[in-house]
Amino acid sequence: MPVVTTPVLDIRGLSAGYGPLRVLHDLDLTVHAGERVGLVGLNGHGKSTLFRAVAGLTDWQSGSVLLNGVEVGGTRSQGPGRHTHEIVRRGLALMPQGDAIFPGLTVRQHLDAGAYTRRAWRERDRRCRDILDIFPPLEKLLDVAVGKLSGGERRMVSLGRGLMADATVLLVDEPSLGLAPKIGKTVMDALMRIDLEAGAMIIAEQNLSLLEGRVTRLLGMHAGRLKGGGMTALPGRHVTGVEL
Amino acid sequence: MIADLPYVIVSALALWAIYGLLAIGISIVWSSLGMINMAHGFTFAVAGYGAWLAAQYVSDAGIVVLGAGILTGAVSGALIYAVAFLPLHDKPNFVVRSLIATLAISLLGTQALQWLFGPRVKSLPRVFGNTPLELGEIVITADKLGAVLSSTLLLGLVLLWMTRSRRGLEIRAMMQNPEGAALVGIGLRRTAMSVMAVTGALAGLASVLLSQTFFVSPGAGLQPLVKGLIVALCGGLGSIPGALLAAGLVGITEAATATWLGGQYVLMTQFAVIIGVLLIRPRGIGGLLDETRE
Amino acid sequence: MSWRNPQLRRDPAKVPVHPHLPVGRRRWWPRLRAHGGNTWRRMRYPLTRRHVLWTRGEYNPRNLAAEVRILDKRPLWWMAGLAFLAIAPLLTDDGTILSAASIFAIYAAINLVWMLVIGTAGITSLATLAIVGAGAYGGAYLSITYEWPWWSMLPVGGAIGLVFGVIVALPAIRLEGFYYALLTLGLAELCRVYVVQSRVFGSATGGMYGAATHIPDDLSDTGQLRFAYYAAFALMLCALALYRWVDGQRLGRLLRAAPEKNEAFAEAVGIDYRRARIQVFIISSVALGVIGGFYASHFKGASPSLFSMDSLLLMLAMIVIGGIGKAEGAVVGTLIVVAIDKVFIDLGALRLILIGAVMLVSVLTTRAGLFGIQAQFRAWREKKKSERRARRQEKGGEVVPEEATEIADKQAIYHRRFDKQMRDFLKTLVTDEVVEEHRLKPLGQHSEALSRLTNYFRRGPMADKYAVFTIVPMREYRVVALSGQRGVPPRLVNDRTYHSLGDAYHAVFLLRINDLLES
Repeated sequence: MPVVTTPVLDIRGLSAGYGPLRVLHDLDLTVHAGERVGLVGLNGHGKSTLFRAVAGLTDWQSGSVLLNGVEVGGTRSQGPGRHTHEIVRRGLALMPQGDAIFPGLTVRQHLDAGAYTRRAWRERDRRCRDILDIFPPLEKLLDVAVGKLSGGERRMVSLGRGLMADATVLLVDEPSLGLAPKIGKTVMDALMRIDLEAGAMIIAEQNLSLLEGRVTRLLGMHAGRLKGGGMTALPGRHVTGVEL
Repeated sequence: MIADLPYVIVSALALWAIYGLLAIGISIVWSSLGMINMAHGFTFAVAGYGAWLAAQYVSDAGIVVLGAGILTGAVSGALIYAVAFLPLHDKPNFVVRSLIATLAISLLGTQALQWLFGPRVKSLPRVFGNTPLELGEIVITADKLGAVLSSTLLLGLVLLWMTRSRRGLEIRAMMQNPEGAALVGIGLRRTAMSVMAVTGALAGLASVLLSQTFFVSPGAGLQPLVKGLIVALCGGLGSIPGALLAAGLVGITEAATATWLGGQYVLMTQFAVIIGVLLIRPRGIGGLLDETRE
Repeated sequence: MSWRNPQLRRDPAKVPVHPHLPVGRRRWWPRLRAHGGNTWRRMRYPLTRRHVLWTRGEYNPRNLAAEVRILDKRPLWWMAGLAFLAIAPLLTDDGTILSAASIFAIYAAINLVWMLVIGTAGITSLATLAIVGAGAYGGAYLSITYEWPWWSMLPVGGAIGLVFGVIVALPAIRLEGFYYALLTLGLAELCRVYVVQSRVFGSATGGMYGAATHIPDDLSDTGQLRFAYYAAFALMLCALALYRWVDGQRLGRLLRAAPEKNEAFAEAVGIDYRRARIQVFIISSVALGVIGGFYASHFKGASPSLFSMDSLLLMLAMIVIGGIGKAEGAVVGTLIVVAIDKVFIDLGALRLILIGAVMLVSVLTTRAGLFGIQAQFRAWREKKKSERRARRQEKGGEVVPEEATEIADKQAIYHRRFDKQMRDFLKTLVTDEVVEEHRLKPLGQHSEALSRLTNYFRRGPMADKYAVFTIVPMREYRVVALSGQRGVPPRLVNDRTYHSLGDAYHAVFLLRINDLLES
């Protein structure tokens, strides 16, 4: 495994919020290629806001966000979502809470929609098969409108869509939220099977037991600040002892 | 009375085509951009003038007139995008403000056209000639046939583009979940631009087609706007099959009323039909066929 | 390094300035002097419990004088504005201005009533002018054909308005937003086409003229115009009273609690929003019908332009420029549009372009018209403030004024300010010589610069304070950070082991220097 090169995601002094509300407070986070980071925290402590700030979806933000060495953050006080598609095209895949699916499109169209780079679009059939290997239940549902699928299947579609392009940073927001525990575990297993190669994955989760022992490091999030394991651990190293 | 039936069918088809073009434009814009384009009528009038200018100064060949109309329509759509959509789309209260902004464009634009070209109506050259064709017992004038054929062709192309092409996939994704669309790398503003240009082009075609029977005038956009809105509404905003069905329904009502009752009752019967439809299905015919935008 | 007293090298120009920024927000309010029981007495309208002015009695914190604060100054502005409108026509005898003024008053009345539907109830109804037009045509028809007197037009208009009100109210409870707007737009268009084509309603002459009027014939021209204006002004006052009566009372509250898309919430707290909407539609439609009757009487007839899209757009422009949902918006917006329409009368059709442009600019730049600018500006300022705060609150920095309001212990604010100045100064003392000196003699005798640094470090809080942890005496030492909490063991800072106490002391010193420089 290559030792520390340019981090795929490097967040420095990120503050973000909605209107007068400040949710993230001067947050620093560095993620290297090959890492699978677990982000644990209670509801309303800013896990989703962190992801949304990286994608440029909060009302305002300041601080630097380097995605593969390219600045995508900076100070911004309006236009939430205005640059999201550009950030996404630089190699970010955000699988948000509530899945952000298109209810009228079929599973195959979803996966196609995820292939936004030119190369991914050309290879979309092959990639589609790769996704189906990770999420076998989708095989039979390819031509069904996503609005008709169950919660777990939707989650798989949403995750699969994020995997279609060559994203280097995968942000997965609460993959087990609203799912039956068994299905949540299946989804998490599938996430662990994904071959990260040059990328990294951050999984936000409230259920600590789903993450334990499966991620390279665990971070706690409390009141908009990162706790525990704040110093970077080398890839492959497992840091326990999360303060919540 | 029965003898008029073929005539009614033919004019209903022609009306279907024109209303379908207008209503689909309004419907797509609403569902993908979340904006009611009240300046669609302005696009319609501008396209008429564009076609007229082309016929005056370039050539009055059918294809040139049609092309000029479509092109002007697309440009006008892009203009509405730049003035009403771009500055407002991420501001609070966008829906109502964009509605008012497009209404303002419509007011401004209509008056500007009147100021530029004068209130006198202009007539376009016959795009399809006016040789009557006989199909068995039915006599069809060439312009009606041309209207039906060309708008079916363009509608078919647009539908094919919407369902098959990548941009179409993007537009449909944006129609259903704008934030999700941004997360798969679809740029709202670029896609919105192409939506406005394409719907403007559709309005441009409808304008040239309708100007075969009516004239080009600054206020010419109002009636088509109202009819297009009504059809889009009756079909369920955001539903393409619904809009096509509703266009058919309204076209048949109009043709039948005009033939059997008289032209002045057209609007009333149309309204009766539409109010009936809306009272039964408050979100229009297609309101439950697809997921419409909240 | 030669040592100089830092107090002596302070450059007065470089002394950090800490201006006494106002903490929290202070808005300027006019204060009235009061004394005794008057401080808390509030004037009420006779026979009601409503206050004329919203005031609050309080003691001035500076001199403890009893004062009365006016919390809502809008009634004063209204009084001034209406007083101006009442005396304005006496100041001029220009015919165009006087006739424009009566048009303004009539349109303001229509807009006020429309505002009940579009603002209070939040339903975009575009059938307003159609109802006015129907009232006007009905009144004019009866007056011309059966020679009914002018005052009968008002109840006739009201009755027609009632019928229309029922027609437009029924779909309003079933259809949502745009469906309803477009339906009412269609209704207006239907009326226009009907009136234009119908021979009874004067399709040949382009309107119906010759109805009875309330304006007496025996006055001079200017007198007639003034009389017409005062009648229209009275109509506007009635509309204003109606607006206050509906918007300010129970019905208005119910409607504002149940706007579009929030009906379910309103229903959940027991509001019957359908009933409230039907009520407001019927009240406003009757009022619009009466205004229509007045319109026919004022203009001695009615014309199909009432139903046209352009007039509707003009009305909408008035409301939009003023601001939806406010009575003052309706009146001032009408004033602006009518003024543009009459002042630039030489421009001809360009006037409408100008009005369209003003409307476009106001909708593109403001959220809720002219009278929403204040709220919009405040929201913008709050936003900027929170962003500034987000940027300024650096790690370990001093307290920013906005944050100070949230800290109960004011001593902490000054401690942090002092601490920041202290650290800024100490940073200037860190040099390679000082570090080298500490490495050689970790326990002293230290130079003044080094002892200032170590004194500062010793004073630090216990939480996260670095300490030396002895693993094997004289052989193995590690650096730890104290938890600052009883019973919670210290944590290891890094994985390095030191073999002498001096090395460990120096490692702690280096860590502290690093933290100081980073803060």
